[in-house]
Amino acid sequence: MTTTDTTRADTPIATARGLVRTYGSGPTAVHALAGVDLDVQRGRLTATMGPSGSGKSTLMHCLAGLDRPTAGTVVVDGEEVSAMSERRLTRLRRDRIGFVFQAFNLVPTLTALENITLPFDIARRPVDREHLDAVVQAVGLSDRLSHKPGELSGGQQQRVACARALVTRPAVVFADEPTGNLDSASAHEVLSFLRRSVDELGQSVVMVTHDPTAASYADRVLFLADGRIVDELADPTADAVLERLGALTRRASGATPAQVR
Amino acid sequence: MLRVTLRGVRAHAVRFALSVLAVALGVAFVAGTFALRTMLSDTFHGIVEAQAPADVYVRGDAPVAAGPGDGGFGEQRTPVALGVADDLAAVDGVRVALADLAGPVVLVGADGTAVQSTQAPSIGLAFDERDPGLRLRDGRAPVADDEVAVESATLASSGLAVGDRTRVVVSGEVRDVTVVGEVDAGGPMAGATLVYLPVDVAVAAYAPQGTVATVAVHAADGVDEATLVERVTAALGDGTVADAAGVEAVAGQDLRDELRGSIDETLGFVTSFLMIFALVALFVGGFLISNTFAMSVRQRVREFALLRAVGASPAQVFAVVVGQAAVVGLVGSAIGVAGGLGLVGVLRVVFESMGMDLVGDVPLDTTTVVACLVLGTVVSAVAAAVPARRAALVAPVEAMRGEVTVPERSLRRRGTAGAVVVALGAGAVAYAALRPDATGSEPVLGAGAALVLVGVLVASPSLARSVLRVLAVPFVRALPPLGRLAQGNVVRNPRRTASTAGALVIGMALVGAVSVIAATGQASLAGVVESSTDADLVLRSATSAIPAGAVTDVAALPEVGRADAIAFTSGGVSPEPGVDPGPDDGAYVVGLRPGVLGGSLVVDVLDGDPADLDGTHAVVNRSTAGEGWAAGDELTVRTAAGERTLVVAAVVDTRVMSASVILTRDVLDELAPGPAQVTDTVFLDAAAGVTPTALRAAVTAAVAPYVVVSVQDRDEFVDQMAAQVDQLLVILYALLGLSLVIAVLGIVNTLALSVIERTREIGLLRAVGLGRLQLAGVVTVESVLTAVFGTVVGLAVGVGIASVLPRVYAEEGLDQLVVPWDGLALMVGLALVVGVLAAVWPGARAARLRVLDAIATPD
Repeated sequence: MTTTDTTRADTPIATARGLVRTYGSGPTAVHALAGVDLDVQRGRLTATMGPSGSGKSTLMHCLAGLDRPTAGTVVVDGEEVSAMSERRLTRLRRDRIGFVFQAFNLVPTLTALENITLPFDIARRPVDREHLDAVVQAVGLSDRLSHKPGELSGGQQQRVACARALVTRPAVVFADEPTGNLDSASAHEVLSFLRRSVDELGQSVVMVTHDPTAASYADRVLFLADGRIVDELADPTADAVLERLGALTRRASGATPAQVR
Repeated sequence: MLRVTLRGVRAHAVRFALSVLAVALGVAFVAGTFALRTMLSDTFHGIVEAQAPADVYVRGDAPVAAGPGDGGFGEQRTPVALGVADDLAAVDGVRVALADLAGPVVLVGADGTAVQSTQAPSIGLAFDERDPGLRLRDGRAPVADDEVAVESATLASSGLAVGDRTRVVVSGEVRDVTVVGEVDAGGPMAGATLVYLPVDVAVAAYAPQGTVATVAVHAADGVDEATLVERVTAALGDGTVADAAGVEAVAGQDLRDELRGSIDETLGFVTSFLMIFALVALFVGGFLISNTFAMSVRQRVREFALLRAVGASPAQVFAVVVGQAAVVGLVGSAIGVAGGLGLVGVLRVVFESMGMDLVGDVPLDTTTVVACLVLGTVVSAVAAAVPARRAALVAPVEAMRGEVTVPERSLRRRGTAGAVVVALGAGAVAYAALRPDATGSEPVLGAGAALVLVGVLVASPSLARSVLRVLAVPFVRALPPLGRLAQGNVVRNPRRTASTAGALVIGMALVGAVSVIAATGQASLAGVVESSTDADLVLRSATSAIPAGAVTDVAALPEVGRADAIAFTSGGVSPEPGVDPGPDDGAYVVGLRPGVLGGSLVVDVLDGDPADLDGTHAVVNRSTAGEGWAAGDELTVRTAAGERTLVVAAVVDTRVMSASVILTRDVLDELAPGPAQVTDTVFLDAAAGVTPTALRAAVTAAVAPYVVVSVQDRDEFVDQMAAQVDQLLVILYALLGLSLVIAVLGIVNTLALSVIERTREIGLLRAVGLGRLQLAGVVTVESVLTAVFGTVVGLAVGVGIASVLPRVYAEEGLDQLVVPWDGLALMVGLALVVGVLAAVWPGARAARLRVLDAIATPD
């Protein structure tokens, strides 16, 4: 944990203002995001939930600079992502953001260790040995580092992916359904690791999930429906999340969504 | 299932585009070869019609060896006396009987150089006003000694006009003449230079012995061919014709058929030669198709599993894939046929601009089209058979699996099989190398070379891993993540990389072998020339014959100390001591002044003494006449003009001449008088006290009027010979070029398809922070690695096999192995460049992939 994290703990690590993302145009246009305002807190694990088509993945893609919003601004760690050139976006992803996807997180031709250090190689920066050892230790993969992804289990692969996302000390890690393809034991390993990275390393993490159990590892859960944030829950339990989700479904579309800061 | 097949092709049209292109290029080459052959054949048949229009021909009844300097088609026969033509004129039903007076000529054009287009012959003919085949287009017939008429196309390319004064070289003499007429020879002459001389000039030049090759007999009106043949035959038999011994009459149609037959045979060789390269190109295209379908099957495993799950049999799935390949092949072939015909159309324009007119339209016959379509379709379907089998064996349950993985089968069996085949081939090559004299060593060598190539192709996936790891080292060092990623990608699927590079391996093996053979040949040639002559200057001719006048004029110069002309003819030579020679074995017989052998011509003497060469003795060249000769043996030489039995004075070994027997000039003059012998080289030495510069100036001035004679010193002589090899090399490279182009397309194809296949992975890399340029860099390094791998393996195979040749062909003069390292390095450099170029499109495609789309693509 670094001192800057504590001194700026009150400022959000990522913010979105008036975020709109529309696919297509005219009568067939789909409003994936219909005006989202959001602050992601520093050093916290934030989960986003919602039914399919609620815009939770689009929100994450826009925050991470993978997709460009139709309107609105995104600021990550003090830099305006929505105004960046493709070249700067590439550098942002390389240096400031970590990713964990649902599947296909690893380059199959590289070993686990090479996958973890890939961002350093791409940036041509020397590997931070100490931090690497710490991260590898934390994911508990010291003995599997020379294996290719094909020789690792699904859970191990996701842990390698987490290690890669964390090893560059990114400002924020975005995880898109990181446990979507895992059995519950492996999912627990991965989620505990993400939790520990927040608690012990002060990492900021945003996780998209549809699994209430996964969401229960978060400090705060945001609920999306029809491209808007409709609800939020702090220090959630699986049951509480399930209840809110149920309420969300019952309310159906058309209800006025609550604006959440 | 047909619908599934066709929809599949349509849905993936872009992916099959390069496969279609590969088939199209290969088939275009095949179709072009066929069309060119038909067109050349039509042209030359037209020339036959125009040049042999008579109803009956009288000719010698026994064939003899083809004489040097005869550019025409058809076999050579014993001669016919000139008087036969005059006697036949009196036979009933004969309109006119014309002796065939024709021979070599040099026409000087308006620009002062010899008129000669490409390799077509330059022929002097008699202008006989009675000849019904000749028509004056302009001016009048040549009558006086200093008048000629010129064929229309020749006149156009010479830049001369009727009324102009110029020079011609006839039977070794330079003549100042006036062009008095333009002659229509009755059709395109494929670039031949035709000059018409007055009859008496032609008789003196082309029938110095009073004999000609044939007499053409034209029928009077109302007399048909068969009747005329009967009457002429009767006249030859009953004494009407004085010199009728040893001659026969043939119908004009039969002679024309014979000539056409021999033309088609010659064109057949050319076509076969071209066809080999066309088929190599098509074969290389097969690799590309095979790869395309292998990758397409891999991607569509789920689709096939679904087909199987809904009840399709493995055979049906197999048929779907092969059917798709057949559609690709058919479309490609159709484009290829059109392309090939277009190509020949272009070629015709090029030929025309070089003065070689070809008749008719570009031919389009059904057989060619059908053959090409079938060929392209079958090659394509066969190439897809292995991937199709793989698709057929997909288990229906694969359709339900979340993640589809196609297990890579072990390469061990394939590697072992390849190694065994290579070992067999290498054994055969080694056998041929160690026992070059054994009978059948050449076929063994050929089969061994083919086996080595096939074995390397089979084993190349196993080779790929280790070789690529080595080749990738510089890239991994210089560009850490890119080199490492690229290496992983090319090694990940060794079968694919190997078969992508396989196309290049074939082409490069041929290039490697050809370049080693050429370099070795050039070096050996230079060695032979340098060690066998110490002449100051060498005279050569652009038309392969040095006019006799030029030799006489040069010999008479005060600056020239010694002039040794190498004159030769062809004839029958005893195959073994004391054995009667066949009449037509076409051996070269050279006439030399005694003292030249061992003088300006240095030779290895194996037995006897070349100084004993005289009117009753001959020298035998072992390198062409074969083993088994010793001084004192009897040897018979037979030519059209007679035969001589001589005693062998010496057995020598030389490769500077391809002659098997060396006689004195006097004996040669008897056996091959006048135009029957050709002088192709004259060695000159300066007289005492004359500097080389002075000698050269004097000789150059003396031969200037003869236009075609060039003066060279020894280095230039060697260079000229080397240049001929280089020319051949350029043609071979050009023919191999198409295979290499298709091989490069194969690399583009594999890269483009693997970019599609790796969309998710590319998305991941981009998300983790890989820039567009870096991504394009990865693709480029993959491309370069594949290209260099194919080139290195191919060159290694080609050079390896070609290195054995000097051992096998030491007897034929390839005695020192030269590996052109700089040329080979150039090829590897070229592979680097080609690799970069091949990556441009796939690299751009990969870089253009939008990160989000790439991540979102379902697998």
